[in-house]
Amino acid sequence: MTPRTHTWSWRGTVAVAPAVLAVLFVICAGLGGTLLQSVGLMPLVGAPRLSFAGYLHAGDELLTATGLSLLIASASTLVAALVGLTSALVLVGSRSGKVLSGLVTASIPVPHLVGAASVGLLLADTGLVARWLGVPAQAWPSLVAGRWPTAVIFEYAWKESAFVALVVSVTLAMRLPDYHETAAVLGAGPWARLRHVSLPLAAPSLLAASAVAFVYTLGSYEVAWLLGAVYPEPLPVMSYRLFTSTDLTARPEAMAVAVTTAALSGAAALAALALLRRLAAWR
Amino acid sequence: MPRPRPRHRLRAGRRDWSTLPRLRGGRSRCAAALAVGAFLASGCAAPTSDFSDETLGSWASIRAEARGQTVSLWMWGGDPQGNAYVDDVLAPAARQAGVSLRRVPIADTKEALNRVLAERQAGRSDGAVDLVWVNGDNFATGLQTGAWRCGWSSALPNMRFTDPADPLLTEDFGTKVDGCESPWHKAQFTLVYDSAKITEPPTTMAAVLEWAEANPGRFTYPAPPDFTGSVFVRQLLYSVSGGHHNVPADFDQDAFDTLTPVLWERLRALAPSLWRGGKTHPRDSVALDKLFAEGQVDMTMTYGPATLTELVPQGTFPPTTRVLTLEEGTVGNASFLAIPSTSADHAGAMVVANLALAPRQQRIKADPRVWGQFTVLDETRLPPRQRSAFADLPHSPVVPPYADLARNANPELSSEWVPALDEGWRRNVLAQVQ
Repeated sequence: MTPRTHTWSWRGTVAVAPAVLAVLFVICAGLGGTLLQSVGLMPLVGAPRLSFAGYLHAGDELLTATGLSLLIASASTLVAALVGLTSALVLVGSRSGKVLSGLVTASIPVPHLVGAASVGLLLADTGLVARWLGVPAQAWPSLVAGRWPTAVIFEYAWKESAFVALVVSVTLAMRLPDYHETAAVLGAGPWARLRHVSLPLAAPSLLAASAVAFVYTLGSYEVAWLLGAVYPEPLPVMSYRLFTSTDLTARPEAMAVAVTTAALSGAAALAALALLRRLAAWR
Repeated sequence: MPRPRPRHRLRAGRRDWSTLPRLRGGRSRCAAALAVGAFLASGCAAPTSDFSDETLGSWASIRAEARGQTVSLWMWGGDPQGNAYVDDVLAPAARQAGVSLRRVPIADTKEALNRVLAERQAGRSDGAVDLVWVNGDNFATGLQTGAWRCGWSSALPNMRFTDPADPLLTEDFGTKVDGCESPWHKAQFTLVYDSAKITEPPTTMAAVLEWAEANPGRFTYPAPPDFTGSVFVRQLLYSVSGGHHNVPADFDQDAFDTLTPVLWERLRALAPSLWRGGKTHPRDSVALDKLFAEGQVDMTMTYGPATLTELVPQGTFPPTTRVLTLEEGTVGNASFLAIPSTSADHAGAMVVANLALAPRQQRIKADPRVWGQFTVLDETRLPPRQRSAFADLPHSPVVPPYADLARNANPELSSEWVPALDEGWRRNVLAQVQ
């Protein structure tokens, strides 16, 4: 029998064409426009002229912002992956799964903006936690708008861990109980079942969910704007500040920062895909 | 009369935007290029200032055209009193003239400008913005890109109540108004302190900084490019330069290079004494007001002292809140209403702008219980009945009358100074004290 998956059908092509065209239009018009503006070919004032001044002028601040963005995205994704995986394993293994899963995933519908405002109210130097503990504002560590983006990472980790837990637990719930039973019959203890059954089964969805969380965090603006310091600032905040600058020559810089963000996100997504293909459970 | 070509703002050390003969069909070429994905080959020209002034009809015909139009007024939404004034006083008055006024709250005026610029890039003439509360660099940038409709405000009937020679109304941060926006209110940069904490308030800007250094952690300012943080830096530039006379109003790179090192040096020296050691700043004036309300700092500042009157009885600010007047005076400006060139309902927008200038509206708006915004009208030009109505306005217990606040008022610098100083502050102060 010949594999059917490789037969070309024009009806199939026509059927997916609207979706492909829409995606192409958004990517080409959006990213293309951004790219053009970043190299001075679509100016607000004056003649289009190829120039990399946007990238060069953003220079050292662009590097600082990239570093901070990568720090925020990596740290929050790491915490979210650990917490999410643990919650998923506990969820699938427990008898009261429905109640627990309700609790774990309750934060998913909360918008990031609301989450950020709540974290701010909790962790700021005059926030609820500081007041409950009776710590004066001066003695409270600068978790919000401080030297390190603690509150920003906390918010992303909290929100994304629920997302990771949801995705991983759905994958595990379909296959894990049977495999566990088989492994137990074959004499595997709890530790061996975790190492040789649960983790390999969870790995692909964990990786995919983490990649989504990482890319989202890298490109998201509002949480870092609300909870972060005015300096240094991550890429999206820097891009928006330059975009809304009344100095029109700052527009190419804003677009250069946006292109950098998009390139980093694209690279992260490609790396995650490559890694995913090498995982045993994916095949 | 043809409008002078918009000046292109040049900044030494930055790229030169040379002027370009108008490229007809630039936008359709651009769209086609985007569609086929052949972006890099072509490049898209900016829409040049293709808005030409049409001759305005008679006021009666404008009023007739305005009937049934809906005007979207985009304005900073962070002031509940201002929002209430527009919704409860100005909008009903506009409705009587047959115009529905819709207030669109925004976090920063730049959002409205950006929207208009995007609409111009897309070639739209039925834009979402019909009227913007604007001044300074936003106005200048918009003018440079042809974002504003021009030649209309001088034709408003109620302009006869303003003083045509008033420098605050003829120039907006050094940019000639030229009929491209109509005045709305006057404002004065004001420092505010808690008299329970500061018994002997400083009386000059230099003394304010000395006070801050003597009381570490009790003072800070919003980070420019926040509007208020930005004017604080300009006020301090006047102070360290020995007065506003020593700073040329028109931007001049040599003057910038000579004057600003002292300013940055002074601010870096001040930083360790600021709230949180100056390593971070409140993001905007709202954040600074919050610190003041919480008692974390003893001073705040505002370019709109009008709001103070309401904040004290509300309990947001302590009852001991007082306004600090400086011997050398502070920076003053006027703010305006501008009509974007992409607005389809510009007749309605003109009717609203004219209404906003009416003596009755200006008087209600000046009442501290309503909004407390200082009037742009010249009271000597008002009919006697209106003049006495202005004289009967209640005085605010917190904010001194405009005449006291505006004593020795300093002129604003031209709008080219603003982004240059904002960016200079980021690089030379904020990044250095980390």
